Amino acid sequence: MAGAAHPDAMQPSRPGRTRTARPQRPPQFPFRGRYAAYTLFDITGVLYLLVGFVALRVVWALGNGAAAWHEVQRELTHPSYVAFHVIALISVVFVGVRFFRLFPKAQPPRIGPVKPPPQPVILGFLYAVWIGVAGLMTAILAGGIS
Amino acid sequence: MKHFLLRIEPLVWLLFGQGILIGTILLTGWLIVIGVAAPLGLVAPGALAYERAHALASHWIGRLVLLALIALPLWKGAHHVRSLSLDFGGAARDATLAAILYSVAALGSLLAICAVVRL
Repeated sequence: MAGAAHPDAMQPSRPGRTRTARPQRPPQFPFRGRYAAYTLFDITGVLYLLVGFVALRVVWALGNGAAAWHEVQRELTHPSYVAFHVIALISVVFVGVRFFRLFPKAQPPRIGPVKPPPQPVILGFLYAVWIGVAGLMTAILAGGIS
Repeated sequence: MKHFLLRIEPLVWLLFGQGILIGTILLTGWLIVIGVAAPLGLVAPGALAYERAHALASHWIGRLVLLALIALPLWKGAHHVRSLSLDFGGAARDATLAAILYSVAALGSLLAICAVVRL
């Protein structure tokens, strides 16, 4: 079996004679018009990275015993942590709304012999799962369901 | 490095996509309670007591949820930060930055596995 092709394997050996225009950023990039939501969607990546590591720290503390758990809970009450988590929550909702709106449009016309459900059905299903799981997790963690 | 990044691209995209989909679904409840409500004292006393929190987290479903909740957002974050860098003209540094970001996400994922196993 042949190995994977080199990523530059299809490049010409020397530059072609055709002159090409230098790539230019659209004038609305990065924060005007439709680019604002696009750029913000990318920026949420920073928050997801940070949230992931904060969650790791919290779970790690839980594994370290009761004293470490109480200490990390005390740290999370610091206003900077609360503000960060509020911004992260807004980002998560923004990502969810944007991605779930895109998801039905990105479906292929057919998956094998089956046609995917209509777009509003997919969108409704995604929102139902999101709201359901978030509600269930909130109820369990907050002590509403034991 | 560029070759290696292209080879792992399907895996990165899988984890990135699940980071958006599953990560977003799971992080919502986590952030509401652990990040905002509990620190503001809006959660019932004892709901996040050590014994209850440990019992919830150490159940196999709890471990799976926590692993997904930690690891998948890291991949979503890593790939989106790479994409952000590319959009702001970072093509020349892309291979190095991608290697660093994916290494951070991989390390975080390994630590997440350790964190849920040791519960």
